[in-house]
Amino acid sequence: MNKPLLSGVLIIGIFTLIAILAPLISPYDPSVIDQNNLLMPPSSKHLLGTDSLGRDILSRMIYGARISLSIGLIAVGIATIIGLILGSLAGFYGGWIDTLIMRFVDIMLCFPTFFLILAVVAILEPSIFNIMVIIGLTSWMGITRLVRAEILSLKEREFIQAERAIGASNFRIITGHLIPNAMGPVLVSATLGIAGAILLESALSFLGLGVQPPTPSWGNILIESKSTLGVAWWITVFPGLAILTVILGFNFIAEGLKKILG
Amino acid sequence: MDYLLRIRDLKVNFEINSRVINAAESVNLGIGQNEVVVLGGESGSGKTITALAVTKILPPTAKIISGEVIFLGQDLLKLDENSLRMIRGTKIAYIFQEPTSFLNPVYTVGNQIMEAIMLHQHKTRKQAQELAIELLNSVKIKEPERVLLDYPHQLSGGMNQRVFLAMALACQPKLLIADEPTTSLDVTIEAEILRLLLDLKEKIGFSLLFITHNLSIAKRIADRICIMYKGKIVEEGSKDMIFNHPQHFHTKELINAYERIGKI
Repeated sequence: MNKPLLSGVLIIGIFTLIAILAPLISPYDPSVIDQNNLLMPPSSKHLLGTDSLGRDILSRMIYGARISLSIGLIAVGIATIIGLILGSLAGFYGGWIDTLIMRFVDIMLCFPTFFLILAVVAILEPSIFNIMVIIGLTSWMGITRLVRAEILSLKEREFIQAERAIGASNFRIITGHLIPNAMGPVLVSATLGIAGAILLESALSFLGLGVQPPTPSWGNILIESKSTLGVAWWITVFPGLAILTVILGFNFIAEGLKKILG
Repeated sequence: MDYLLRIRDLKVNFEINSRVINAAESVNLGIGQNEVVVLGGESGSGKTITALAVTKILPPTAKIISGEVIFLGQDLLKLDENSLRMIRGTKIAYIFQEPTSFLNPVYTVGNQIMEAIMLHQHKTRKQAQELAIELLNSVKIKEPERVLLDYPHQLSGGMNQRVFLAMALACQPKLLIADEPTTSLDVTIEAEILRLLLDLKEKIGFSLLFITHNLSIAKRIADRICIMYKGKIVEEGSKDMIFNHPQHFHTKELINAYERIGKI
């Protein structure tokens, strides 16, 4: 394991552990309002301070990690599955199937994704599930192109001819032999995609169309801090740092994977 | 003569950017039961294309224009893709030139042999693994249990060719088509592989279509030799006829070529 990969795995591992163990390690209930402790700066009682409703920032961020990480993973999972299916169909069969899929990709890429997501969320309700699905459904194009390009060169390789010679079906060749060989670059791209999805969710929450309060996500803790930024820096700084660190962690993993997988 | 495989007037074209190139022009070829036929000729004479056309595993730019491939009484060129898949690997098997690049780099050789077995036979993974070990034994690989867990890049070219042969023989084919299987190997390994092929042919009983540009191999293994030149079979005959009384100038060229190398 190389250095970037190791540090990335370490960072993401710690955050994942925190997210999984949230009920055990968070010092307070993240949605309990404490009128006696409004806007308290970091102290031994509240390690990262409290917000304008007296809720513990550390606890809210620990629960927020669950939301942010799972949105990243599931959104990218959806995008990767779509990308693998469409990309391998386009690359393997070529011809009109290829033209149809790739032109659809071009059309999707023409939309300014962020505004598309905003519009869809404005029509549907901004639930966590909807946000995951919508981010996934608007970010599969890059992976599709990547998979198609990989498949195009892989299908000319000799071992694919050998597979046909032993009587393997097209389905078996695509799922059993082409996709496993194309997974390297796809993994790198997916890791970067998780970072992008977390950022996108934060941006959506910041605009009030992401995860709705009182459910905490790093993005909506940030937006609540906006009005009190002048008196309570800690509400802005810590969620911001958390987002920064996780994005950095995923980028490290992508960088490390790229070195290993070529 | 009773043929296992009979190719009649096979014509294959390459169509690249509306340019048409003749790869095979009316090829006629027959292979009997248990016979070793060597298909010789220079590079680009259409040997490989003829071999691949037998079970229609040609590259997408190649088109079969006309002809028949009669195998066990049916015309393979008229069969649909699914019926052809049932024949590939079970009745007709292939081995190729560069064994290492013909094996998938992300799977162990054991996995790939087991795949070849389980594609056509109803076997559990455990039974398939036992059969794979048996197959590796039959192609004279030592410590088959260990080799099963190796990846193709960890084995030598000769070892990989044996692995590939084991895959090809997984379903006891009636016809083995060997497309220059020893060209990328050195001469001692070549001799071992050739002997292995002939031994296995005796034991299992398959016909062998051996493609090569090296007529010294033909001299060692062939029952009958066909010489191909510019998409046609230009000469056909027994070893004695081809080597002692060659008719076509290309046959003479090929014989001269290897005899000259022999003298160096």
